[in-house]
Amino acid sequence: MKWCHVRDVLDFNRHRGFFIDGAGDGVKFSMFSSAGRALLLLLLLLLDCAADRSTERNYEYTKYHPMPEISAWMQQMVEENPGLVSSEVYGTTYERRDIMFLKIGVDQDGVQKKAIWMDCGIHAREWIAPAFCQWFVKEMLLRYKTDKKVGEMLNNLDFYVTPVLNVDGYMYTWINESTRLWRKSRSSPPESCSCPGVDLNRNFYANWGMIGVSRNCCDNTYCGAKALSEPEARAVTEFVGNRSGEILCYLTIHSAGQLLLMPYGHPQIWAPNYDELMRVGQAAVRAMGSVHGMEYRVGTSPDLLYPNSGSSRDWARLIGIPFSYTFELRDKGQFGHKLPEDQIQPACEEAFEGARVIITYVHDKAFHNRTDIGAAGMAAALWTSMLASCLTTMLLV
Amino acid sequence: AHTVLYITGLQFVLKLTPHTPAASPSVPGQEDIQAAMPVEELDPSHYPATRAAKVAEHFINTRYGSPFAWFGSSGVKKAGLEDMGVLGTKYHIEFTLKEMTRNQDMGLCSAEVLFHRADERKPPQVQCTCSGAFQVNTSAEEEDLYQRLRNATSLLSGSDIPNSVGHIDPEMAPFWHLGGVASSFIMLRESNESTLLNMAHIDNFTQMETKDAQLMFQYDILLHDMVSQEILKWKLLLSWSPDGGVKVLEAEWDPKCQAIPTSSILY
Repeated sequence: MKWCHVRDVLDFNRHRGFFIDGAGDGVKFSMFSSAGRALLLLLLLLLDCAADRSTERNYEYTKYHPMPEISAWMQQMVEENPGLVSSEVYGTTYERRDIMFLKIGVDQDGVQKKAIWMDCGIHAREWIAPAFCQWFVKEMLLRYKTDKKVGEMLNNLDFYVTPVLNVDGYMYTWINESTRLWRKSRSSPPESCSCPGVDLNRNFYANWGMIGVSRNCCDNTYCGAKALSEPEARAVTEFVGNRSGEILCYLTIHSAGQLLLMPYGHPQIWAPNYDELMRVGQAAVRAMGSVHGMEYRVGTSPDLLYPNSGSSRDWARLIGIPFSYTFELRDKGQFGHKLPEDQIQPACEEAFEGARVIITYVHDKAFHNRTDIGAAGMAAALWTSMLASCLTTMLLV
Repeated sequence: AHTVLYITGLQFVLKLTPHTPAASPSVPGQEDIQAAMPVEELDPSHYPATRAAKVAEHFINTRYGSPFAWFGSSGVKKAGLEDMGVLGTKYHIEFTLKEMTRNQDMGLCSAEVLFHRADERKPPQVQCTCSGAFQVNTSAEEEDLYQRLRNATSLLSGSDIPNSVGHIDPEMAPFWHLGGVASSFIMLRESNESTLLNMAHIDNFTQMETKDAQLMFQYDILLHDMVSQEILKWKLLLSWSPDGGVKVLEAEWDPKCQAIPTSSILY
C-alpha cells in the first residue's frame, strides 16, 4: 500500500480544522469535534492517497527511457495534471515523428503568459539530457504546492519543456551498442556525400557555417547543406521565433563537460548583456557545485570549450531572448555520454539547482523588478528546495 | 640538480628534470634561454589550460596507471603560457589530481606541456611533478588479478563496456581502467592544442596467449574528441603485469568506421 507523503495529509487536514498530530514516518491523529465525519473524510483521503498512482511519483526518473516510454509519460503528465500541464506537437522530424513539448504552468484562462523554454536531447547520445527534462517537470510539479516560489513562478510563467528534440537520433541510439554514440539527426546525406545526419546544434540561423563546423557530411559537426535544412531546427525556430516577445529565457540541455555556456559561439562577438549573463551564470554554477561538490564552469563556448556557430543558444540570444544558456551536464570524461544510471539522480539534482537560480532570477527581474542575487536569498531557496525535495521524494511502499 | 624518480606502486615522488619557474632569471649563454621568455597568465577555467591538463592526465596514466589506478584532473588551479618560438608553445599548469577508481583526491600536480609547432606533427612533451600524500597501494589487488589470470584455464574476454546505460560489471571494471590507461598512450600521442581526448567505450577485449610473464590483451576501443566531437576507433595490443606496468605493443586506427550507414559498423 502506498502512503501519501506526510505534508499532503497534514495540509489537507489543517485546512479543514482538524487537529492532526503527525510523525515523520506515519500519521497518528487525535480529533476534537465531529469525530465521525472527520474520521470518514480522513479515511477517504488516506484511501485516495493509498491509491496514488500519480506519474510524477511512480515513474522511474533514475533510469533511462526509450522514446515510447517518454511519450507515454508525457501523455500521463497531461492527463493527471489538468489546468497545469498541457502538450503540443510543434514539429515533425525527418523520419516523420512528432516533436512535442509539455507546457507547465497554471492555466490563466488562455491568456498568453511570459514563458521559459527548455529543450533536451538535441544531440542523440546525450541521454542524461532527456532524463533531466523529465526530472525537471517532476520537480516543478511536486513543488507546485509545497514551494512558494515555484508556485508563484508557475502562476506567472509557462514552462515549455521538450524532453527529446532529436527524436530520430535518440531512437537510433537505442538500437544497439554500435549506434549508441550517434549525435546528429538522421536525415539523408546530400548528393556528393554518403553519410546521414546533420549536427542540429550547428544548423540554426546564427552565424551559420562560419566557425566550429565541418562541411563534410560524415563529420559530427556537419552544419547541413544550408541553415535550417533540418526540420527539427525549423520546428524550434518557428515556435520560439513566433513567441520571442514572451519568452524570457532559453535553456538547452546537453552532456558532457560540466559547463554552463553563454552566447556567443564566435570568439569575437559578445552578447550585450554579457556581464549580467556571467553574474547569473556564476550564481548558478555555485548552486550546482554546492549540491554534490562537482565543479561546473561558466563562460562562453569559445572560452571554455571551442568556438561554434549555428547553435540554438546563439540563435535565441540573437532574436532577442535575453537569457540563453547551454547546460553541459556530467561528467568530465570518465564515462562521458554514457553516464551510469546511478548518477542520474545526483546529476539532475545539481542541474535543477542551477536551472532554478536562472529561472528565479529571470522571473524576479520580470515580475518584481529585482536583479539582486542575495546570498541569503539563495541559501533560503536552497534550504526550501532541499526540504521540499526531502519530503516529496518519500515513497513508502 | 636532478632528483631521482622512485616508483613504488603509486607513490611517485619527484621530478624528472628541474622545474623552471617563470620568474627566475637564467644565466644568458646557457642552453635554457627559453626560461627568459615571458609566461602569459591564462584563465585556469578556459580551454587552453583544460586541454593541457588533459595531456598531463594522459602522461600520468601512461607512467603510473594500472587496472586499479586511473587518474584524472579535477580542476586546473593555475595556468601560464610560454611562447617557445620555433619550438612551439609550452603550458605551465597546476591542477588537482584524482584517482578515479576510488574517487580519491591525490593533491596538487604541476606540469609543463610542450606542444610542438603544428606542422611538425610531433606528440606533446610533458614533465610533471606531483606532491601530496599517496596512500593508495594497489599492489595487493594487482597481484591478485595477475595471478588469477595467469592461473585461469581459459582466456578472458569482455565486450560492450560500459553498456548503453553506463553500467560496468564489477568483474569488468579493472579491464575498463586498463583500457583507459592503454588509451592514454594513444591519446597522449594524438593530442594537440585542438583536441580533448577521452576513452568513450570498449567494444570488446580479448586476452591473448603469452609465453612470458606479461599478460597480453587485444582491445577494440572508441575514443572521443570533445573538440571535433568525433568518435575514433582504435585497435590496441597491450601488455600488463604488476612489475612491468601497462605497455602498448601495437596500435591501429580504423578510419573506415566514421560513417554508420544503417545499423552495423563496416570493417
